[in-house]
Amino acid sequence: MTTQVSGLGSTAGQMARMGLRYLSGRRLRTALTTLAIVFGVALIFAINLVLPSAVDAFNQTMSGIAGADATITSVTGEAFAPEAVLPRLEAIDGVRGITGVLRRQFQLPTLGIRNDNGSVPQIELVGLDPASASQVREFIVSEGRFLEPSDTGKAVLPAGLADLSPQLQVGTTFPLVTAGGLKLYTVVGLLAEQGSVSVPQIYVTLTDAQAAFNQSGLINAVEVSFDPRADREAVTAAIEQTLGDAYTLNTGSSSTDTLAAMQIGFAMMDLLGLLALFLGAFLIFNTFRTVIVERRHDLAMLRAVGATRRQITQMIVIESLIQGVLGTLIGLLLGYLMAQGVVSFMGRFWATYLNRGALELRLNAPAVLGAVALGLVTALIAGYFPARAAGKVSPLDALRPATTASIHRAARWSLIIGAGLMALAVLLLLTGSKGAAGGALLFLIGMVLAAPGLVMPAARLFSPILTLWYAREGDLARSNLVRQPGRAAITGSTLMIGLATLVTIAAIVSAFSGLINTLADANFGSDLILLPPSISIYDTVIGADENLAARLRALPEVEAVGSLRYASAAAGGQSLQVLGIDPNAYPQVATFEFSQGEPDKVFAALDSERNAIVTSLALSSLGVPVGSDVVLQTANGPQTYRIVGVANDLFTFKLAVMFISQANLAADFHKTEDIMLMVNLTPDADKAAALAKVQDILTDYPQFTARLTGEYREEIVRTSASAMYLFYALAFLILIPAALGLLNTLTINILERTREIGVVRAVGGSRTQVRRIVTAEALLLGVFGAAMGVLAGVAMSYGFIAAFATAGWEMPYQFPLLGVVAAIVIGVVLALFASVLPARSAARLDIIRALQYE
Amino acid sequence: MPIVRTDSLTKTYGDAAHPVSALNAVNLAVEEGEFLAIMGPSGSGKSTLLYLLGGLERPTSGQVWLRDHDLSKLNDNDLSRLRRTAIGFVFQFFNLIPVLTAQENVAIPLILDGMPRAQALKQADEALAKVGLSDRATHRPSEISGGQQQRVALARALVTKPAVILADEPTGNLDSRSSDEVVQMLRHTVDEWGQTLILVTHDPRIAAYADRIVFLKDGKIVDENRLKGQGTADQIREQLSRVALQ
Repeated sequence: MTTQVSGLGSTAGQMARMGLRYLSGRRLRTALTTLAIVFGVALIFAINLVLPSAVDAFNQTMSGIAGADATITSVTGEAFAPEAVLPRLEAIDGVRGITGVLRRQFQLPTLGIRNDNGSVPQIELVGLDPASASQVREFIVSEGRFLEPSDTGKAVLPAGLADLSPQLQVGTTFPLVTAGGLKLYTVVGLLAEQGSVSVPQIYVTLTDAQAAFNQSGLINAVEVSFDPRADREAVTAAIEQTLGDAYTLNTGSSSTDTLAAMQIGFAMMDLLGLLALFLGAFLIFNTFRTVIVERRHDLAMLRAVGATRRQITQMIVIESLIQGVLGTLIGLLLGYLMAQGVVSFMGRFWATYLNRGALELRLNAPAVLGAVALGLVTALIAGYFPARAAGKVSPLDALRPATTASIHRAARWSLIIGAGLMALAVLLLLTGSKGAAGGALLFLIGMVLAAPGLVMPAARLFSPILTLWYAREGDLARSNLVRQPGRAAITGSTLMIGLATLVTIAAIVSAFSGLINTLADANFGSDLILLPPSISIYDTVIGADENLAARLRALPEVEAVGSLRYASAAAGGQSLQVLGIDPNAYPQVATFEFSQGEPDKVFAALDSERNAIVTSLALSSLGVPVGSDVVLQTANGPQTYRIVGVANDLFTFKLAVMFISQANLAADFHKTEDIMLMVNLTPDADKAAALAKVQDILTDYPQFTARLTGEYREEIVRTSASAMYLFYALAFLILIPAALGLLNTLTINILERTREIGVVRAVGGSRTQVRRIVTAEALLLGVFGAAMGVLAGVAMSYGFIAAFATAGWEMPYQFPLLGVVAAIVIGVVLALFASVLPARSAARLDIIRALQYE
Repeated sequence: MPIVRTDSLTKTYGDAAHPVSALNAVNLAVEEGEFLAIMGPSGSGKSTLLYLLGGLERPTSGQVWLRDHDLSKLNDNDLSRLRRTAIGFVFQFFNLIPVLTAQENVAIPLILDGMPRAQALKQADEALAKVGLSDRATHRPSEISGGQQQRVALARALVTKPAVILADEPTGNLDSRSSDEVVQMLRHTVDEWGQTLILVTHDPRIAAYADRIVFLKDGKIVDENRLKGQGTADQIREQLSRVALQ
């Protein structure tokens, strides 16, 4: 007798070989079961491939001039007066050089520089003081000369950038977008460096940069170099202490909200991946339960010839692991392709919309390991429980005729706990909007728990309808179904989750579309709109000075011009966008969707003192009611603003935004550029002609695009609607496992009842009748799942929409009638579809063989 | 000393209020190298006896001894090990794993016991040669005839060189030609290799090949026939009907 330990490898190897053969014998089922794992792993892997490089790209472009030891910015990210900082830094021990810079990234519409990745859409214009900058960082000139303090209209570039563009050589001139329109700069020197590939830097004098950004006398960063012998941490600490809370030693604080929004987006995708994996687990579980019924004989025989329980359990676990490995591998591959797709799609979006650094795919160990671990663990857990049940198959099952499917009683406690949870969930849904999302999930869990107890009443409730079509077979189908309430409940629950997701998505999509339509009406009251290259994220937008608005007003067709101006700020530790409007001109060209406050009074209030309108999202993130005072970190230090109204528009409803008057924005933030303009035309003006004239003016301001507002509105509404269809697609993906679950359950039921089916046939049941029994059973299951799905879906959609409202996205709840109808139809259709194969194989059973089946 | 022995072996099904006696104080001893057939009418307890001898079922009282192991005292893991090393089973429905080849099916008990695969497959080849199926080693069960499948099952039972082979109606699912083939092969294992064999059957033609037949009725041994392989089917049929009418 060989010992067990020495040969474990051989046994496991044989188990794996056997598992593979079983799996390849049922290719379609294996593929479908594995699909859910593939999908989950792919999503999670893709996200974690892109995320680090996205964050890096983000930080990279936000970081300062390379070579400086520290970069100091204001907490708001806005510009400040150099006098406020520089003298205080000079006194600190260990600081060697200090220089104030004004820099900003923006788009280069006309330069046409190309690199390997295509055109360079953005650059960083860095304004520096040539004398002090050299103390902070060495600039090695490879050709021409470095900047001199007296230079105007002169620029120095990295040689790497010049290599890419033949027009950019010493002595040539190139145009740059500035707040004052296009300006020409002459290249006077090249630096012996490659420069940043994704965001090339162009150096000009501080005075030129201040003019270009319309921020005279201001800087937005201080670069510091340390004495090489100094203790860096001590110097850093001393700087932090000296400057206090208004400044930070960091890289890119102004963009943390963008970063946070991005991370939330990625987290939501991660969640979707996890949901897919969860359903994958459900599916593997369900499939292996089927497998064990199907293979009861083989398992019993193995036990009879001496396999231990553990060996049997091992075999099934190995089999589910094979699926896990397979699904994970394919998932990794698919995830990589998805990530590439995302990068090439987002890269374009990134470049043109956000003006951020290039995205690149980076294979990293945590992403690979994380996805692999999740995929395998899911398969392992899902396979373990059926595997344990497989170990309990008695060796006698190989010798004795099978006992017929036993009748199980539904566990009463499960129904009671489930009903209790559902009641609690309804309370949560009705009373607190804070706990609404939790209530929605609780309802779902309660439903899953109560499901076994609901099988019988549901079967009673729906079978009268069934007898309309299946007069003779309906009763038999019903009694078959309720024999195994646990199994029917699991199948119904899978279907329920799928359909509830569908109903919820339908409800959210319709509420969202309604919201977008309402908000779009508010934004698009004007005739023409002048859009910056990026919308919603303005810190890289070069606006226009007042000349542009003045030139627009001078057109005879123009009746009114309103504009938005931008600054970033912080309140209560949270970053906020501040948008400046002219309280008199703005209401003529656009409006807000007010949820609190009288529009007339609020606009009037904005004109005096420091009053502000906030978006719902800002109000909930500040956590204060209307009428309260909020201390805002401004470029001028802390200022107190009073909230006088809550309103949203299409561009701001998903952001924390505070609207203040343009006068206050200029005083507290030194910002006077218009970043978006809306134009009203005189009633008899020819819109097309006016648009042409405006476009003509915009040749000097290429950062803007002029559009007919109505046309643009249609485009936005259409785009957002098509994005919504993506969610429907995801809901349908979730229904695939549900359909497979149905198929599995029907298959088990037929396998277990082979002998009974033989009896039905022997006593004169026709093939058609047998088929109709199976179809009727499937229909009952489908209707059961659909009914639960509709209930759970209504609860979930209500909960999620309430939760959105707490987060500041107020949408009216409408009963998702369309979703409910769709869920019922889809549930029934899926059930019919899933019943085709089992019904056919039941009908084709050979009577004699079925009677002998053991 | 007998290789298999039972001592007041009793098996009762059902609950205390409604006991159904399947086997009642059976004492049986099987010598090494003996071919024993168990016969009896339906419900006489012959299958139950076989399951108890194979450690598939636990006795209500009494003992089963296989060599010096008391089966009633072993736990599930020890019983499993005993089944894969000391007992060979042949079932009515051949019970081969459909996804494995004949050779791999035969090797299963060895592999389960931890033998390296190559070695296990080599021994499986030898066992297949004994049942005359060397040329079918790479076929799957669905690709060979019923008689051949049962011979593969016999090879699987032989491969571990078990102390005893237990066969439960091994010809019950075969036509008469295949039945003869299989039972002759069983006889051959006893004659050539001294294999101990216990077989349950209701077919007198098959039982006629045995050294000894015990007749069971209502869970008790009621008759015996020590024909040493010399009996005829008619003689046995007659004895069987006598037992049934008693």
